[in-house]
Amino acid sequence: MNFNTTLREKSAKIVIYAILTVFVIFTIAPLVFMITASFMPSKEIVKMPYRWIPTTLHWPNFYKAIAGNDGRFMFPRNILNSIIVAGAVTITTVLLACMTGYGLAKFRFRGRTVLFLMIMATMMIPFEAIMIPLYLVTTKIGLQNSYGGLIIPFMVNAFGVFMMRQYLITFPDEFIEAARIDGMGELRIFWSIIFPNSMPTIATLSILAFRAQWDNLLWPLLVVQSEKMKTIPLYIVKFTAEKHSDEGAMMAIALLASIPMFILFFALSEYFIGGSAVFSSRKG
Amino acid sequence: MAKKQTTGKIDRKLARWGLVFVAPAIAFFAVFSFYPISMALYTSLFKKNLLSLKKPDFVGLKNYIYLLKSADFWNSVEATFVFALGTFLPLLIISLMLAAFIMNISKARRFFQMAYYTPAVISSVVSAAIWLLIFDPRGLGNQWVNAIMNTPGIDHRWLANSITVRISTMVVYFWKYIGYFVIIFISGLANIPHSLYEAAKIDGSSAWNMFWRITFPLLRPTVVLVSIMSMLQCLKTFSTQYLFTQSGAPQAPINVITLNIYNTGIRDFRIGRASAMSIILFAIMLFFTWLQFSTSKSDEVSY
Repeated sequence: MNFNTTLREKSAKIVIYAILTVFVIFTIAPLVFMITASFMPSKEIVKMPYRWIPTTLHWPNFYKAIAGNDGRFMFPRNILNSIIVAGAVTITTVLLACMTGYGLAKFRFRGRTVLFLMIMATMMIPFEAIMIPLYLVTTKIGLQNSYGGLIIPFMVNAFGVFMMRQYLITFPDEFIEAARIDGMGELRIFWSIIFPNSMPTIATLSILAFRAQWDNLLWPLLVVQSEKMKTIPLYIVKFTAEKHSDEGAMMAIALLASIPMFILFFALSEYFIGGSAVFSSRKG
Repeated sequence: MAKKQTTGKIDRKLARWGLVFVAPAIAFFAVFSFYPISMALYTSLFKKNLLSLKKPDFVGLKNYIYLLKSADFWNSVEATFVFALGTFLPLLIISLMLAAFIMNISKARRFFQMAYYTPAVISSVVSAAIWLLIFDPRGLGNQWVNAIMNTPGIDHRWLANSITVRISTMVVYFWKYIGYFVIIFISGLANIPHSLYEAAKIDGSSAWNMFWRITFPLLRPTVVLVSIMSMLQCLKTFSTQYLFTQSGAPQAPINVITLNIYNTGIRDFRIGRASAMSIILFAIMLFFTWLQFSTSKSDEVSY
């Protein structure tokens, strides 16, 4: 009897590990495919069966990825644009969300609840529903094709405010009171006490904001027309849609565009995961 | 009395500081959320063309009536819901299963979480580009499916036929977000006190019974939240469909509402009609958000 249950438990464990491993293959294989294919000439990529280990390192893929089909070398400029836009949005989001969250969590003023609910209500407005009016306004004030046009509509978001507020509500009032008694100004309290003490939440929020912009396709598609102002998603779309694009070069671009995110992920994985875990705890 | 006055003064001063901290964001949301959504509502009542200099004509609800009668729009609604349901149901079930499995093993927990999560790190355009090659007639998609189903040499026409192209977009999305939901469920599961399981074990419950009697009911709020969230996310899908159609996949089966808004407004310059579509999308999403609030209210769990 005892022997039987342990045997059953053991085989259940094996089945569990087997299923988990099948899904690891499913999630990881396409990434391995991207990496290996980026080193192969396109003839080899579409060969059946696929050879997972490249026989040679086919560097021309990377040249073509960076030079583009038109040979204009827009890739470095486009990746720089992505870094500028995502970086700027991250900075403004963190600052504004922290300020607003602090104001809502630690000050009492008339209309505070209404303002908080108003901000939360914007979470229900999908960007897809307001992109056309936003586009009309942006072109009207001449911000199309500029960093301003790419950055300004995303300077802060309701979710960030919510996250910071939830965090700062638990922040001990005594620290703030003590600083006030010491004669510290309100701005200094924010800058030298609140902001540095919110770092874990700020890191999570930064990653969310940076990723969202690194990933953003729809808005740049609307406001950017010139090759010079394109961001990385637009560069990828253009390259893939062109008729005679080389498969190897396509994967080389995909790899180059993912490297910054991979580095961030392996360095700061707990904050990536923290960002998604926020959703599971609604209390607080 | 004098003391009360000074504290009143300090309170007022602090209240002002509170407003100072909040004001920039409020101004931002007014300009970049509330103004555009009201403009979308307003524009949806006009026949407006982006290129024409003519003053737009007020047409009342005609844009909405046109859309409700348009086969093309209903096709988009269908494509969107087919995609949303076909993506989020498997996502929900499989991510819950994987999370429960991970909680049941002792070794390599972290490894499995990271492995599932990695696709979520790369951008949606990159994932669509990778899968575009996998779904190539000579690509890995055919090779794998033929190996599993033992049907050598068959081309499943992943990007050519209206059913398979829908499945392909779902696979991309499923692949990218599975790890995300596994992580959410794991943190939900970790919140369930261990003592409950120990008590059940002493009472002789099977693992299956424990899942349905303890885990599932206690996890219900997380399940509801994840369902609504992923549903909302799926209704907004754009990148995969856009890249696929740009690379030659048939548009009609995957012409989701957002893609239709983009094409109607930006490519065909019909701003009024595109705005009406935006408002309908907004209404659909509001409905699901309302659903979330109304179900989660009754879901306060106590252990």
